[in-house]
Amino acid sequence: MPLSKDALWYKDAIIYQVHVRTFHDSNSDGIGDFQGLEEKLDYLSDLGVTAIWLMPFFPSPLRDDGYDIADYNAVHSSYGTLEDFRKLLGSAHDRGIRIIIEMVLNHTSDQHPWFEESRSSQDNARRDWYVWSDTDTRYQGTRIIFLDTEKSNWAWDPISKSFYWHRFFSHQPDLNYDNPAVREQMWDVMKFWLEMGVDGFRLDAVPYLVEREGTSCENLPETHAVLKELRSKLDEQFPGRMLLAEANQWPADLRPYFGDGDEFHMAFHFPLMPRMFMALKLEDRKPITEILQQTPEIPSACQWSLFLRNHDELTLEMVTDLERDYMYDTYAQSKTMRLNLGIRRRLAPLLDNDRRSIELMNGMLMSLPGTPIIYYGDEIGMGDNTNLGDRNGVRTPMQWNGASNGGFSTASPERLYAPLIQDPVYGYPAVNVLSQKTSGHSLLNWMQRLITVRRSTGVFGRGSIEFLHPANHRILAYVRSFDNETVLVVNNLSSTAQAVELDLRRYKGNIPIEMFGRNMFPRVGDVPYLLTMGPYQFYWFRLRRI
Amino acid sequence: MKLAEDSFLADEFLRQLINVGEVDILVGLATHNNARTIGPIVHAIQDGLLRWFPRERAVIVNADGGSRDGTPQLVTGVSIDDVRAASNLHALRTLHSVSTRYAGSPASGVAMRNVLAAAELLHAKACVMISPESVNIEPQWLSKLLGPISRDGFDLVTPTYRRHKFEGLLITNLVYPMTRALYGLRIREPYSPEFAFSGRLATQFLGQGHWNEGTGDVGVELRLTLAAITGKYRVCQSLLGEKTHVERHAADLVPALRKTVGTLFSSLGADFPVWSAVTASERVPTTGADAEVLLEPLRINRKRMREMFLTGVSELVSVFQSILSPSTFAELQRIASLEEEEFRYPAELWVKTVYEFAASYQKSVISRDHIIQALAPLFRGRVFTFLIENRSSSASDVENNIEDLCLEFERLKPYLLQMWSTRE
Repeated sequence: MPLSKDALWYKDAIIYQVHVRTFHDSNSDGIGDFQGLEEKLDYLSDLGVTAIWLMPFFPSPLRDDGYDIADYNAVHSSYGTLEDFRKLLGSAHDRGIRIIIEMVLNHTSDQHPWFEESRSSQDNARRDWYVWSDTDTRYQGTRIIFLDTEKSNWAWDPISKSFYWHRFFSHQPDLNYDNPAVREQMWDVMKFWLEMGVDGFRLDAVPYLVEREGTSCENLPETHAVLKELRSKLDEQFPGRMLLAEANQWPADLRPYFGDGDEFHMAFHFPLMPRMFMALKLEDRKPITEILQQTPEIPSACQWSLFLRNHDELTLEMVTDLERDYMYDTYAQSKTMRLNLGIRRRLAPLLDNDRRSIELMNGMLMSLPGTPIIYYGDEIGMGDNTNLGDRNGVRTPMQWNGASNGGFSTASPERLYAPLIQDPVYGYPAVNVLSQKTSGHSLLNWMQRLITVRRSTGVFGRGSIEFLHPANHRILAYVRSFDNETVLVVNNLSSTAQAVELDLRRYKGNIPIEMFGRNMFPRVGDVPYLLTMGPYQFYWFRLRRI
Repeated sequence: MKLAEDSFLADEFLRQLINVGEVDILVGLATHNNARTIGPIVHAIQDGLLRWFPRERAVIVNADGGSRDGTPQLVTGVSIDDVRAASNLHALRTLHSVSTRYAGSPASGVAMRNVLAAAELLHAKACVMISPESVNIEPQWLSKLLGPISRDGFDLVTPTYRRHKFEGLLITNLVYPMTRALYGLRIREPYSPEFAFSGRLATQFLGQGHWNEGTGDVGVELRLTLAAITGKYRVCQSLLGEKTHVERHAADLVPALRKTVGTLFSSLGADFPVWSAVTASERVPTTGADAEVLLEPLRINRKRMREMFLTGVSELVSVFQSILSPSTFAELQRIASLEEEEFRYPAELWVKTVYEFAASYQKSVISRDHIIQALAPLFRGRVFTFLIENRSSSASDVENNIEDLCLEFERLKPYLLQMWSTRE
């Protein structure tokens, strides 16, 4: 299946986030690899995935799961070779699946040759490639991101006897984007992969590229200038490729990352995600509608990226203290579930493995405005292991079947890069792809149908949104419109049955056609449209005037 | 067998309640032409909910008696965003405000019934009634009234106030001491415009059959207090602060007597098994003081009080003779003959008067409403005495005098019991 030539392909995409290491091991060393992933592309294609976002696979000491890069122009030997990657790329494209790779612009590993040179002496040619200082007092007041492990954004380097700046772990020194050579080099890195054929980059930690005294050192105009420069080169030399911003910011601060359509194509809507979970527990649409009403318009060619969970903790940075406390109390009663300012759990355990609420959350993911990203394993309801350090508990091996090692690897279990989930509820004998493929009503099959319906229309990826405001606050209802198509989405956020009357007078005369079963519902008239809904139920109605 | 009967809940109100769904907290507002005061009161309620109950599901239920000044629209139209902006508070949830116009003329009992019904349908755990005239309400009142219900498991929280020594005299000279003596709990404000109650008390009270008896419309606030006591619900008090001063006129006394004394008297019959067994009163848990007395000058027409007493005694001879014992009536006539400087309506006489009225009310020696009306001039005579005796009193002296009156009510309780059995 050839790749779509549509320049706005990312608006219709279904993105699957996965780390090579976690997916499938083809050479029995206990670590997933490119070849293993390639062997599973049919699974992803059947699911309906149209793009894969690969987490970092570069050579790295792996002290931050690959986000500490030691060589930008190679792949980690554990995952295979560059040729293996090229093969994966080709096979994916053959199936109409695009590949988006990670690009960590902000920092490198302290074992990257550039840093090793930079720290070797104050006169080194690459000295100025990083941010050095004789004191640790510059950029006072800049928030620390990894609160649980870092006490400062400065680290003392005993080799060059000075401090270096790091917004993340201390082994991840920040690159100095005030240096044109750095900007030039990073474009060359991106170009290397673009020429190979990758379809886009998820640019990690972009708000922090540039620092200035007296600021928060986030979202600075100078940072945007760097990003616009990259985008300009991308459009000129590689049209049709996509840049996705990772910027954990409030909506108003996120907006500049789209520029005038000349910066990022996509950005994660971080503030929406925790509010979806909040709305579910509160049984109140208010958190969702409020944040989306505060979300500014973006250029027509740009797109929000939506997600429920990812490889990091469920971040609670962009919520109020009241909201954070509520989320901790309702979703992470045990302190082992909490990390930094977030909750390190997968989707299914967060929702107590309640199938109905899992479906509802995925229904909202697929119907709210933006491109959905599915975190690997959440399509089968994988569990987590909070006893593993850092965020590793949500990065365990994919569970393919109930046999040895969950079908992830034929290596001896103690060689696996991480232990499999083995508890009675989420363990691989109970939760795996094979058993769900053979069960007609499994979550996997349901997700496949959900994605099929989502892809049947362009309205979800490209349409406008208008919220309805029924008096029943437990109901989140909105209308998506694109071209001549109109879809009414109604979500019951409550764990109990609800009745709702919707004001649909604008759509009088339309026949709602429920999109999963394709059955007609009574025509819309003058009176409020009454719907009764089961716990966590949702409807997608195509409104047809016949 | 009646299979269907008219519901007193309007369809539109029911529809609004369906949309609200289950709540943790219900705030009731019974209104009638309160546009002048209601806006800031609703703001204070919202502020209090945001501040002290940010996670709870809450609703404001307005039962309106047919306002013509837009009061209901003001209640439902107050935006919580104004409160958020002013107080820098964040609301986790939707706060609903619903309103209903109940049938008939304005009556606190009917309003209360609608609020109680809403509380039951919405499974409210904690409810509070707020007066639409309490212009000095503070957001913290929500915490003081609802906190004991939602946190500590109480079923009824009555307020105590900081108020002038000459305000609330009907409460301090009759309703409080008599309720205390008969029912055994020292609830300082058994009839109050704001109070809180649990959902279970609301359900029990709603289910009592008095609503269709005509009496259900009057004095429901006091009736709820008595129901809590007789039902052995957990009761406590909470000091709110300064009570809003509301101008009263002479013509307001009889309606006030109906709501308070009339309700108390009419409850004694059904509650006899309970109050007849009470031998002493006890304190209820109280947050803050039982009461705080303000002493700044307040103009009251004492002379007019005595004049109305004298007029009553002279013009209602036959009425008093059918209500009171000969000795009590003779004593009333004697004090009526005293010069103003010597006039005193002593505590013992006052208590006997009230108890004889109660007993006569029970037997309906004359129309019960006439009995209540007849108490008005005598109450004024008692007020005159209270004003004289406390005109220079300190706050503690006033409290001591009220306590002495309460003890007199308790001491003479056997007298009431004796009359009760005699009348029977």
